Amino acid sequence: MVKKLLAAVLIIMFSAVVFFGCSGNTGKEENNGSRNQDQERLVYLTQTPPPNMLEQLKAGEIDGFIAWEPFNSTAVNNGDGKYLFTSREVWPEHPCCVLAVSDSFKDEQTVEAVTWAHIRAIRFINEAKNRDKVLEYASAFTGKDEEVVKKSLENITYVEYPAKDKFMEYYSSLVEGKLLKNTVETIGFEDSENFFASFLREDIYKKVSGELDKDAGWKPAGIKGNASLSLGYLAADLHQLALFVAEKEGYYEQVGLITGQNLETKMFSNGVAVMEAFKAADIDIAYVGGAPATLKRINDNIPIKVVAGANNEGSGLVVRSDGEIKTLADLEGRTIAVPGVGTVQYTLLDKALREQGLRPVIK
Amino acid sequence: MGLFNYTPADRATGRTVQIHRFRMLTGDRVFRLLSVASLVLIWQIIAGLRLLELPSPVETCRVFVDLIVNGDPLYNKTLPQIVWASLLIVIKACMLSFIVAVPLGVLMGAVEKLRRYFDSTIEMIRPIPPLAWIPLAYVLFANTGSPTEYVQIFVVFIGALFPVLLNTIHGISMVNRIHIEAARTMGASPRQVLLRVMLPGALPAIFSGIRVGFGVGWMCIVAAEFVGGKLGIGYYIWSSYSIGGRTAEIISGMVAIGIVGSLINRIILSAEKRLVPWR
Repeated sequence: MVKKLLAAVLIIMFSAVVFFGCSGNTGKEENNGSRNQDQERLVYLTQTPPPNMLEQLKAGEIDGFIAWEPFNSTAVNNGDGKYLFTSREVWPEHPCCVLAVSDSFKDEQTVEAVTWAHIRAIRFINEAKNRDKVLEYASAFTGKDEEVVKKSLENITYVEYPAKDKFMEYYSSLVEGKLLKNTVETIGFEDSENFFASFLREDIYKKVSGELDKDAGWKPAGIKGNASLSLGYLAADLHQLALFVAEKEGYYEQVGLITGQNLETKMFSNGVAVMEAFKAADIDIAYVGGAPATLKRINDNIPIKVVAGANNEGSGLVVRSDGEIKTLADLEGRTIAVPGVGTVQYTLLDKALREQGLRPVIK
Repeated sequence: MGLFNYTPADRATGRTVQIHRFRMLTGDRVFRLLSVASLVLIWQIIAGLRLLELPSPVETCRVFVDLIVNGDPLYNKTLPQIVWASLLIVIKACMLSFIVAVPLGVLMGAVEKLRRYFDSTIEMIRPIPPLAWIPLAYVLFANTGSPTEYVQIFVVFIGALFPVLLNTIHGISMVNRIHIEAARTMGASPRQVLLRVMLPGALPAIFSGIRVGFGVGWMCIVAAEFVGGKLGIGYYIWSSYSIGGRTAEIISGMVAIGIVGSLINRIILSAEKRLVPWR
């Protein structure tokens, strides 16, 4: 009897689970039904790292993806995809990668030295006469052929400092999307204005760029005798080309940072990993996406500051090249892959879709 | 089926054992609850003193209930819906692996030559962690139209396959020789020996294989979803982590995984009790 009773209870529990699952589904369909009446048009999102997106687009599992360069150009170049928009068209000058320093890293002289090397590199990249060399560096850094990186570079704007108002726009999209668990107040700031004044630390950049504007050959004091630095960056992310250029053009060496001796570069696969490394005090300075930097700065209270920009723009929506999707409105009912909820690419897509009266839902 | 009939005496002892266990239950239950209570207490202390950045048990509980009832506004789905999406894939994949593993295991257990033929291959493939198959699986299923789902099914399939296969082989080879010989002497055909003697004898072992297989499969899906794809429980945990500040959601997801895992275990156990009364 006890056995049978137990079995009965378990069967009921199991059917409850099944029922929950099913009723949940029917609930969703009902919702869809009522939404259809309100003329709401849906676009489905899946979440996956960009290398997978290329495979999934080829296989037809997704109808498009939004990612950063050079993944977009790769898909376009091998014929699987075409641009529906570049991020410049949807959200001009939107922030992307930045150079950030941990609050626990107190060696201001080294921060200034790295910022100097970084700005020299950005200016090198933007100099028209260096075009061929930049292409060569970009190709070596990402492992993609020159044709792909050439296309990629057209979509990326390398900057010395991101625009504060654009950063705050991103921040408000996080607030609206309920992505923030903490508020700027709970991590010790009066308001968002106050937070960004601290988070976007411009003084070092202003000093360095001011000196360089006066005298292109200006050099900072360089690092102190036995100082060392651990510098993080993302693997093969073309947005962070400045790191590679600074290394190859010898800018780090000129301020006394020598790779393998007092300069250790650490490669990461995504911005979240970079932020965790900041938290663990594994790195002092890093190139990181502005999105994970802001999200994790607030949500996990990982104290970092942005000392310089790396790039604006440089993302885009790529759709299957079969010609079925010609405009954003054609995305209705389609599946688009995003690198993650809360990423700048997700924000871009969300913005673009909403302007068209489409609503993204996670599949 | 005289071999497996219980005598009245057996039944009587079975009963007394059960009554005995029932009486123990009250003391036992308190003891069990004590373990959960002390875990929650340690958690509360750690969270209360801010030794680690953990949400308190009460806060987590609130989030957990909220996720079940109202769902996560970011994903527009409730926790049961999210879990169900993953469970569906595990069920599909496990069924597939049982369909392959049980007949293969029975054959390998029964036919010595077949066993020796497959043995070295299986012993070489078995130690490869199911998750190590993910990149290759993406290549293999690149042209299927929805590689991500196939990859997930495949990874769970691999994870569930070997426990069932090995248990089946073991179960078949552990069937009492005397029973087989006895059946043969009494004129049973090879088919009858297989279906009436070997299979019933091996069923308890097959069932524990299925139980372990489901458990491993359930673990695999969580990890496989970290790679991305449609919303499932592993995806949910990973995504919550990437956004940051959502530790209560992460723990809620883990608790859901634990509950569903133990539920699966119990369901199979009870099915086993009903289907294999001679165990």
